Amino acid sequence: MKEISLYEEKDTPIHALDPLTKILYILAAILVPALYGGRTAMAAFIAASIAVLLAGRVLRRTLPILSFSFIVLITVVIIQGLFRAGNTTVAFALGPVVFYREGLSFALGIGLNVVNILLSFSILVLTTRPSDLVEAMVRLGLSPKLGYVLASVFQIIPQMTATMGTITDAQRSRGMETEGSLLVRIKAFLPLIAPVVMNSLITTKERAIALEVRGFDSRREKTFLRERKARGRDKAVNALLAVLIVLALIGRVTIWLT
Amino acid sequence: MNEKKNLWSFQLNTASLVLIPAAVGINYIGKLFAGLLKLPLWLDSIGTMLAAFLAGPVVGALSGLINNVIYGLTMDPISFVYALTNVGIGIAVGLLARSGKIRGVKSAILGGVVVALVAVVISTPLNMIFWGGQTGNVWGDAVYAWCVAQGMPALVGSALDEVVVDLPDKIATILIAYGIFRGLPKKLTLLYQSGEKVESLD
Repeated sequence: MKEISLYEEKDTPIHALDPLTKILYILAAILVPALYGGRTAMAAFIAASIAVLLAGRVLRRTLPILSFSFIVLITVVIIQGLFRAGNTTVAFALGPVVFYREGLSFALGIGLNVVNILLSFSILVLTTRPSDLVEAMVRLGLSPKLGYVLASVFQIIPQMTATMGTITDAQRSRGMETEGSLLVRIKAFLPLIAPVVMNSLITTKERAIALEVRGFDSRREKTFLRERKARGRDKAVNALLAVLIVLALIGRVTIWLT
Repeated sequence: MNEKKNLWSFQLNTASLVLIPAAVGINYIGKLFAGLLKLPLWLDSIGTMLAAFLAGPVVGALSGLINNVIYGLTMDPISFVYALTNVGIGIAVGLLARSGKIRGVKSAILGGVVVALVAVVISTPLNMIFWGGQTGNVWGDAVYAWCVAQGMPALVGSALDEVVVDLPDKIATILIAYGIFRGLPKKLTLLYQSGEKVESLD
């Protein structure tokens, strides 16, 4: 069955970190450049993220995450470099096409911001098992019911993709065209998706009954299957990241005051 | 029962809660089928709209939110940002459906226009912040480039960019969601109706 997560099981110190520490890292990577340091801080965080991803041996797996955004970023560079309002200083010209410095600089800012956010999220996405992440959020105070909702998405989607394969085969064997002109393909959409949707909604009803029978609505306090092992290393990294955010905040405030 | 209260009312009972992952799954499947059939649309909010039709604005909004949180956590971090758009879509469809505005194909198309406008209003500022106004869709970005080259403000170009992308997509999506909703058996739709009196046999 096809998994939706890009997570990959590996045994590295990065994989072993507490998911909440990785979330705190994302916060730091977004907040510190926003508060203080701007592009230099973004570049520093990008470098740090790449180092962490290398240590987690998942750097190559960031490619699918980055590829879509890279295409958009290239068009951002072209469109802003050519047409941005306020373009005056010519950077370089390729024949009749003139790129301007202001637009390119604006595009660079956008690019750094996007790559920084993507890479910091990649650490969380690529090195954390989704169910661990949900569990960590429930420990933090997320309602266990919503935790169930989040976790069950990871189970439902592979199930639905499997159903989708069955339905596609069934409809094709009845002679339904799925290739050809746009009209043919549009007409194929409803007969394909409707059975999958019906199927999943009927399963939904059964699931609800099964859950209630097992005390899903019970008001007793929920417990965890696995005990949490608090570790010094997580705490040390958390403290470091918190200090960084506080320093950036102090930097911002001093700029305001002077 | 008071009409106004009914519009927003919802029950976060087990049935509604279990509907949310199904909605997220339907969104995913819609996107997958659209890709498989090489349709020029996203069709990735069928589940959100269906949940809104079935269980009202709050469950619709929750489905939209959780959809993007899941995508953000597993595949595409940028989708976190657009969670707001999907929340807006869920609320808009839920309110339209609950107030009985959507009665047939024609009104569903009109509803699609309204939903597309909601999506544009929410997405455009996000596009401005993250991409300088672009959407990443070829046709939309061509419109954006043309507008900016004509000297229009980037915000106008960005809004038009988003309209080009969203309008056909949201109309098609709401038609599909409405079509499926109409075809559902009563015993399923009744699970999510709130505010109605339930007669108990014991």
